[in-house]
Amino acid sequence: MLRSFLLLFLILLNYTVEAGPRYSDPDGCLSCHAYEGLNFIDENGVFRSATIDASHYASSLHGSVPCKDCHRKVIDYPHKVENTEVDCSASCHIEEPSEGVKYSHDVIHEEMDKSVHADGWYKGLTGGNRLQELEEEQDPSCRRCHSNTAYIADAQLEKFKEAFAHAETECGNCHQGKAWMGQFGGHILRRFIGRRWNNIENNQLCIQCHGDIEAMREVQQEDEKTLEKHPPSERFVQSSQSYAKTLHGRLIAADSEFGASCIDCHAPDGWKHEIRAYTDEKSASHPDNLGESCGQSNCHGYTKKPGNEGFTMTDMHSLSLLGLHSFAKPLTDKDLWQSNWFRSMWPLMAAGIVFIVGSLIWWIFYRTDKKILAILGGSRFERVMIGRKPKKSKAKATARKPRVEKKVVPTPSVEPVGPATITKEASEPEAEKTLKKPDEPEA
Amino acid sequence: MDSFALFVMILKINNERPRMRIIQNLKAIPKVQKFRYGMILLASMSLLGPLAFLPQLVGSDDLCGQLCMRRFYLYFPGMTWEDFFVHVNAATIGVMAFALILITTLFFGRIWCGYLCPVGGLAELSSRMLNDRWKIEFRSLPQVQIRYGYFGFYLVAMPALGVSACSLCNFITIPRLIEAMSGEYRGMIYLVSSVGLVNLALLLLLGVFASKGRAYCQFLCPIGAADSIVNRIGARLPFAHRIRVAKERCTGCNICARDCMCGAIKMVDKIAVVDQMSCMSCHECVDVCDWNALAWTAPPKHKHNSPKRIKKNTEIFPLPDWQAIHITPLKEEAGRALPQISGVSIFNSMVFLTVISVIIVGSFL
Repeated sequence: MLRSFLLLFLILLNYTVEAGPRYSDPDGCLSCHAYEGLNFIDENGVFRSATIDASHYASSLHGSVPCKDCHRKVIDYPHKVENTEVDCSASCHIEEPSEGVKYSHDVIHEEMDKSVHADGWYKGLTGGNRLQELEEEQDPSCRRCHSNTAYIADAQLEKFKEAFAHAETECGNCHQGKAWMGQFGGHILRRFIGRRWNNIENNQLCIQCHGDIEAMREVQQEDEKTLEKHPPSERFVQSSQSYAKTLHGRLIAADSEFGASCIDCHAPDGWKHEIRAYTDEKSASHPDNLGESCGQSNCHGYTKKPGNEGFTMTDMHSLSLLGLHSFAKPLTDKDLWQSNWFRSMWPLMAAGIVFIVGSLIWWIFYRTDKKILAILGGSRFERVMIGRKPKKSKAKATARKPRVEKKVVPTPSVEPVGPATITKEASEPEAEKTLKKPDEPEA
Repeated sequence: MDSFALFVMILKINNERPRMRIIQNLKAIPKVQKFRYGMILLASMSLLGPLAFLPQLVGSDDLCGQLCMRRFYLYFPGMTWEDFFVHVNAATIGVMAFALILITTLFFGRIWCGYLCPVGGLAELSSRMLNDRWKIEFRSLPQVQIRYGYFGFYLVAMPALGVSACSLCNFITIPRLIEAMSGEYRGMIYLVSSVGLVNLALLLLLGVFASKGRAYCQFLCPIGAADSIVNRIGARLPFAHRIRVAKERCTGCNICARDCMCGAIKMVDKIAVVDQMSCMSCHECVDVCDWNALAWTAPPKHKHNSPKRIKKNTEIFPLPDWQAIHITPLKEEAGRALPQISGVSIFNSMVFLTVISVIIVGSFL
């Protein structure tokens, strides 16, 4: 009895031990940081949480990286906030088994250094200076865009599970060994399944900052040669708004894979961090390089060939087409009522009113069953389409002719022309063309 | 002049009561045309404006983006088939709609253009509310030449020059105009912009103030240009419904030619002849003809010009030969000279040759 009870107890105990997954924590950081409610109020009076959810961290991108690989200055306990500094460009401690080279983010940092966002922080990142960075820095640091997100995105989880289920048979035939399958099988599968982010999420990243118009107005752009700082152009400030109105933006908003995202044009090559100003000759958006960058695979391939300069010069952040300039600042009365375009609407409106009122009056009072000819081109229609000989249509024209002749009479040179054309017209059909000429100005 | 005297004078001129006239005029519209106007209004309510019911099914609020039917066939210099398929894929729904339009055209004539198209249809309806006296008559211009000259320019030269095809597009203007009328901000701002104003002027000149309001469709619409080629090619097929003329019945009264909104009917030797390159199968000529000389039918099953039969000493005349295409025989008239070289023909051939040469040279580059 006791034996069986103990056995049952053991089985239950075993079960409870197995149920909680264990996370590797070689540095022992989680012994404190795993506690819930590890909160404090910092110097600025902001409520902060130092709790790390172990399961959350383990399932994140850096889940297999021990804490001290990045937080290197933390040696003793208790540690200061300044000691938790992270250098994203430092080499990591993960070795790829095939080459035995330690992986590093330094490549990306080097590329980032060439871009317009070069001044962004990449080292000295601590929890303490997060707010300081947001307030003071114009350029984004690594962490402003990259949070330590889940290793497998939610959208891809099902697909990943499906692929991982038979990875051992498919990939494991050649790539044997537990280390390979455990550590890198998932990694390669994840890459194989596809991009972590779709284009909408990619753009959302840029729009987080560039969509904030007020913040963009305060950006100081640096001139390359003179190194003088100047406020940005309206085109730069509104860039994300105008982009949303182009075909590129609209296709992406409709979740089509054929739209071009921000990075697709601004950093098509390499690690996608080399976003340069369009004035820079090495920039993908420089007028000389547009043929290449528009003609990437699956995009406008023909732009690599000559003759498409006009196409590539289409302004993708144009303020003019939709009057986006006015979207940011709501239209004032001055913009609306006193603009030249608006003034030019008045004659159009006047003409429209004359047409509408005139034809209403005509329709109600004067309309008869007689055929109505259009003022402009009506007589030509009679002649060409109906095939009516010009003599009949001239019945009206002759009634008006005296008016023309009256004006013509004082000048002696024009007089002989009139009768001469009339005599020709009766005899030859070709003379019709010459006869028309006096008609046309009337029409 | 005294305003009262003017008013009395107007009353004297007017014989009948004006209200009666309006009702009479409305009653005079043929049944099929009432149906057609209704269809256009229905299509424009579901495709345009504040509701935009159909576009919203695919997540768009106007006729652009995925719904665009006008852009995917543009030829950019050095374009390959891959590029073309990228364009096709970018506007999937537009391409499908375009294919559907062409297929229906092959069977039934240009039903989309005449009965559904909200862009040409709204311009036509608003033009029909105005008096014919105050309009510009475009129908007598050589529309086939102008249309395909512009079509070639649109397909080849505009992309090469870098002019966006969207800058001269009625499929943007009309939705924006409706938006502006319903008080939407985007529409108003588009119409006050330079591109919008040019398009509005085109809409007014070639739409509202054009006689019968279809001049834009005749001259500038690329969908219509492609559509009318199919219309013409399919005209001889045995199943194709087209507007056809029974020559022996036509009296040459030319009412159909006056009422044809596309200027497709021309009186040749005092007989109405339908140009299938520009006919929209709107059915108005059929409604108007007192002699049943026009009909929207498939070609007759009996042989052309089949001999008369004599039954019980009474001559039975053949069924009408519903002809869709009328080609004036050049050989029969010996005295008539062959078409001479004119300025227009030189211009046309120049446009044609440049388009062809740009395509050929472009494909080698």
